[in-house]
Amino acid sequence: MNYIEVENLCKSFTVRRKREKGHLFREKTTVQALDHVSFSVRQGELVGYIGPNGAGKSTTVKILSGILTPSSGSVHVGGRVPWTDRKAHAQHIGVVFGQRSQLWWDVPILDSYLLLRDIYRLEENAWKTRLDELTEKLKLGELLRTPLRQLSLGQRMRAELCGSLLHRPELLFLDEPTIGLDAVSKLSLRDFLREENRDHRTTILLTTHDMEDVAALCSRVMVLGHGKLLFDGGLTDLLSRYDRERVIEVSYERETVLSGLPNRCTVTQTGSRYRVVYDPENVSTAWLLEYLQGAGSIRELTAQGQNIDQLIAQMYREMDL
Amino acid sequence: MRTKAYASIFRMNWKLELQYRGAVLGGIICQLVFGLILVSLYRALYAGRPQVMPIETVSTYVWLQQAFFRMVLSSDSDLAGKIRTGDIAYDLVRPLSLYGYYYARILAQKSMGSLLRAVPMLVFALCLPRGWGIMAPVSPAAFACFLLGLMIGLCCVSALENITMGITMRTLDPKGIQAMLNLLMMILSGNVLPLTLYPDAWQKVITALPYAQLLDAPIRLYTGTRQVAEAPGALLLQAAWTVVLTGVGIALWKSNQRRLVIQGG
Repeated sequence: MNYIEVENLCKSFTVRRKREKGHLFREKTTVQALDHVSFSVRQGELVGYIGPNGAGKSTTVKILSGILTPSSGSVHVGGRVPWTDRKAHAQHIGVVFGQRSQLWWDVPILDSYLLLRDIYRLEENAWKTRLDELTEKLKLGELLRTPLRQLSLGQRMRAELCGSLLHRPELLFLDEPTIGLDAVSKLSLRDFLREENRDHRTTILLTTHDMEDVAALCSRVMVLGHGKLLFDGGLTDLLSRYDRERVIEVSYERETVLSGLPNRCTVTQTGSRYRVVYDPENVSTAWLLEYLQGAGSIRELTAQGQNIDQLIAQMYREMDL
Repeated sequence: MRTKAYASIFRMNWKLELQYRGAVLGGIICQLVFGLILVSLYRALYAGRPQVMPIETVSTYVWLQQAFFRMVLSSDSDLAGKIRTGDIAYDLVRPLSLYGYYYARILAQKSMGSLLRAVPMLVFALCLPRGWGIMAPVSPAAFACFLLGLMIGLCCVSALENITMGITMRTLDPKGIQAMLNLLMMILSGNVLPLTLYPDAWQKVITALPYAQLLDAPIRLYTGTRQVAEAPGALLLQAAWTVVLTGVGIALWKSNQRRLVIQGG
């Protein structure tokens, strides 16, 4: 039984644009934010939802959380239709927006949690147990009496996560949770999410631009572009489609001329340093290495795969996004 | 109903209101100056041509209006900003009614906000000489009716403000509509000119309008312009308007929620 079931989901917005001089009324155009999107997610899955800006990711999350009503299509989350059953639905989901605070700005975070206890009608003991568990895991103990506005970005994100999980939601939406965080905070946040997903079987839908997040957390990714679902499957499958090129960086003791390399290699030169991008399918690595060695006395050589961001950028380009 | 949730929201906003001490002090000074100017003005007018309404009653009316000034103007700039940016939609992820959430919040702001300002201001006005400051209520019963009327007035004005916000959600421009409604409220609630000074025929109409239910109705009970015997009728009218305005507000917010589209989402 699938936990989230989305079929032919469409959402269009009407945008009013100012016309050129001489027209009294603004021009109305319709923007198709989601175009027949269908997918399903099982309970306990951790899914990455990626795509360039304006692809329709946030629109999907808003519809799934009951904030927005779609133009057409059907959505069931845990058997509920989010927008018709909003309040009951809200009781079972948690939402964290990396760029917007869901807690109360001017009060100690504990006050926010107390208010959430009443808003979600949590029983005192259940609330306390869960709060203790979360404050320990998220290292919030000493911060409980500090107002949200005085917390650092990393602390604030931990506080937001705690607030969104107090009522033990079945489904957690994370919208760019690691945005602006330092390396240590990012890593510990990922660890926490993995544990939460494992221990409580919380279904997590993660929207992000940080591919490291996806690589670290999600076994499954969905790629959205121009409102259409372009890929749904494992991250490794996705990457292997685009992960063809390799990069060799080589620097010589003296400036050297590299001539005679096939056109299929892209070479960029900075002083005595060269960067060669090639596809092992077309150019043999053994031959290339031999050639480079023959060209002069090598001081340093590194070989690497493509970085994940470059891959995604390439994928977006090829998908014409 | 999630009464406990709304009560908690109310409490939280009460506490928040306590934090803005600077705003409270500024408000008090501003309203004290306004009160003194208005009373001097009426005294000058009375010196030329005394009116039916004694000057002591007029000055009391002015001071009560000034003391509870925080009640009348729409004050939640936070909410206005949220409506403009569309962030208000994010409040829908809570298992609450949006209307109830903001009603509790506005009620808390208005009640705590005016209480904090009213107490020192009324103490000040009590120290002023007779005819300049505020009189004691005509009787303990009148005072009790005044307090009850004030509470209904608070609910009434919160309902009114939620309607203003509901309209703002449609126009997405809080300034224009708020400026207009605020002006209307200032005049028709008796803040600029006591409603008791209008011609009798006008008063019949104005006192039946919702704006007169905020402060004018309770103040009349305090000063004895309206007898305690007439209190039930007056309080009932206040309550009736509160119910109607709340109903209109809920309907407006419901329909807004249906067409809610997040800007820039």
